[in-house]
Amino acid sequence: MTPRTLTEKLLRRNVAAPIVAGSDMFRIPVDLVLGHDATIALLIERFKRAGRRIWDPARCFFAADHFTPPSTPERADILRRYLTFMKEQAVPADLAFRGISHQLLVEDRRCQPGMVICGADSHTVMAGALGSFACGMGSTDILALLLTGEVVLSVPESIRIDFVGTLPDWLFGKDLALEIIRQLGEGGAVDRALEYHDLTTGGIPMESRLAIANMSVEAGATNGVFVPDATLRRYLEQRDGGAGPLPGFEGSWVIPDDGAPYVRRLRIDVGALRPLVALPGDLSRIVAAEDAEPRAVDQVFIGSCAGGRLEDLEAAARVLRGRRVAPGVRLVVTPASQAVFQACLRNGIFDVLSEAGAMITNSSCGACGGIDKGLIGAGEVCVSTSNRNFRGRMGSPDGLIYLASSLTAAAAALTGTICDPRRVLDEAQLAGFFPTPTAAPAPRAEKVA
Amino acid sequence: MKIQGKALIMGDNVNTDVLHPSRFFSLDDRTVRSGFLQAAAGYEQVGGSDLSGRVVVAGDNFGCGSSRETGARAFLLAGVRAVVARSLARIFSRNVRNLGLAAVECPALPTLPQDVEVVLDLTRGRLIVPTLSLDLALTPLDPFWVAVHQAGGLLPLLGLDEPAPRGASLPIYQGTP
Repeated sequence: MTPRTLTEKLLRRNVAAPIVAGSDMFRIPVDLVLGHDATIALLIERFKRAGRRIWDPARCFFAADHFTPPSTPERADILRRYLTFMKEQAVPADLAFRGISHQLLVEDRRCQPGMVICGADSHTVMAGALGSFACGMGSTDILALLLTGEVVLSVPESIRIDFVGTLPDWLFGKDLALEIIRQLGEGGAVDRALEYHDLTTGGIPMESRLAIANMSVEAGATNGVFVPDATLRRYLEQRDGGAGPLPGFEGSWVIPDDGAPYVRRLRIDVGALRPLVALPGDLSRIVAAEDAEPRAVDQVFIGSCAGGRLEDLEAAARVLRGRRVAPGVRLVVTPASQAVFQACLRNGIFDVLSEAGAMITNSSCGACGGIDKGLIGAGEVCVSTSNRNFRGRMGSPDGLIYLASSLTAAAAALTGTICDPRRVLDEAQLAGFFPTPTAAPAPRAEKVA
Repeated sequence: MKIQGKALIMGDNVNTDVLHPSRFFSLDDRTVRSGFLQAAAGYEQVGGSDLSGRVVVAGDNFGCGSSRETGARAFLLAGVRAVVARSLARIFSRNVRNLGLAAVECPALPTLPQDVEVVLDLTRGRLIVPTLSLDLALTPLDPFWVAVHQAGGLLPLLGLDEPAPRGASLPIYQGTP
């Protein structure tokens, strides 16, 4: 049998039949559908016109994370319609208001390796860090999926990315994601899968992997998937309390075949990288933080599905413990989920950040999508741990957004300028001083398979 | 099938946030329409003007970024007839095709002058620019996308909805029904 990539194996496992004669596209049954208040609301009226019910409400993983809480009457109306729709369709509402859908998904036992997951949001790709096929789509595709249980997809070719070397304490998933985009280019992976192989000594922590998988779509990829290994196994054991896989997913761990065909390969020595920043506007200019012009910043945003996890908030606390944010700089901290929020309450991270002057918000998408709680004005400069620095993304089209890891972002909050975070840390801080995170597991694997 | 119209030229890596900023996210089509191109530098005015019958002609990776379908819907509400780009971002191309708009790729597309008249011959798979004597190949569409286009969108193809009327005649949905 011809050797196959991980994505090919994940999709072929579910392939039903070509949809039209001569087409490369297949109807693919979906295990889980991710949705949230904004993009599901767009399909409700058309859904009702079809006069049918959701094919399987138990497979709907619907959060409310965009307009939460609503900042305008119109958004309150959108949210209400969404919640009413869920109720009418008997979709479980246990996830509403608990944080960002993508983060909730990977914290939940309903998300298992080997699944096909489609979501009404481009950052659905993040679940690929757990060894699933996960991809984002628009509302019409999701509408059809909710009615039929299937999506129509081609099987993308894969780009293989090998991480080697040893990850320094001051380097994070965001830095690695930016390095990948720097090498591939913004559209460098359109209609491709990114297949990540963690061959580093010590392993890349799960939370950093999530940031990498999350930003697969910023290179244009259909999906990004990490090869399941010891790091994933440890994460799942901790997450599910040893409950093991869901029924039907016991043997679902899939790894690529030896000799699988890749259209391109990258090899990234994580030990040779410096902290990176993406310069404002798009993802075409990614440079080392120490080479970036040391611009004065007005706001630092630590949050989003790409940079609001415990690892990120802990890194910010490393920089800011016993220190104050630079005068006049707004530091907005938005934990990605309530689990992250509660862990930060328990282990003192919020004390550190709050004493440093941070404004801490409820778990939601918030400033990342220009929704609320941290928009920027014309001419303002923001360093953000989110995934997009596009013009107008976080407010005024004339505001400037830099992307960076939370360590780099916190260093900018501390100094008031964009800088290399290693400049502001001593050795103890570089190593971290919150030894055991108490929730949202982020173990480092001893040895990666 | 041929689509002829005045080109609206755009560049490379034009993302959904500049095509349709999230502050115009709404269930009210008037709000959605008014957001078209409102963060695309230099295009704010043309975005607000009557674009009936126009063909958007863009560079590489057009429509990268968000899955928000309001961005795709804004093209239809503005009256855009078709999108042709050197290459299209994946989610965006699905979104506009699903809504019944023609979206095709022309890998050899050079930079064209603003407002030039273009002809998309979808039957023969050619992009023709008569005044520049250009006749370029379009990347053949997968038969599935041809079927979606012929049906007027994904939902009509799957028998899940009536096809939406095309272009400027698209009814404007005004918020709470």
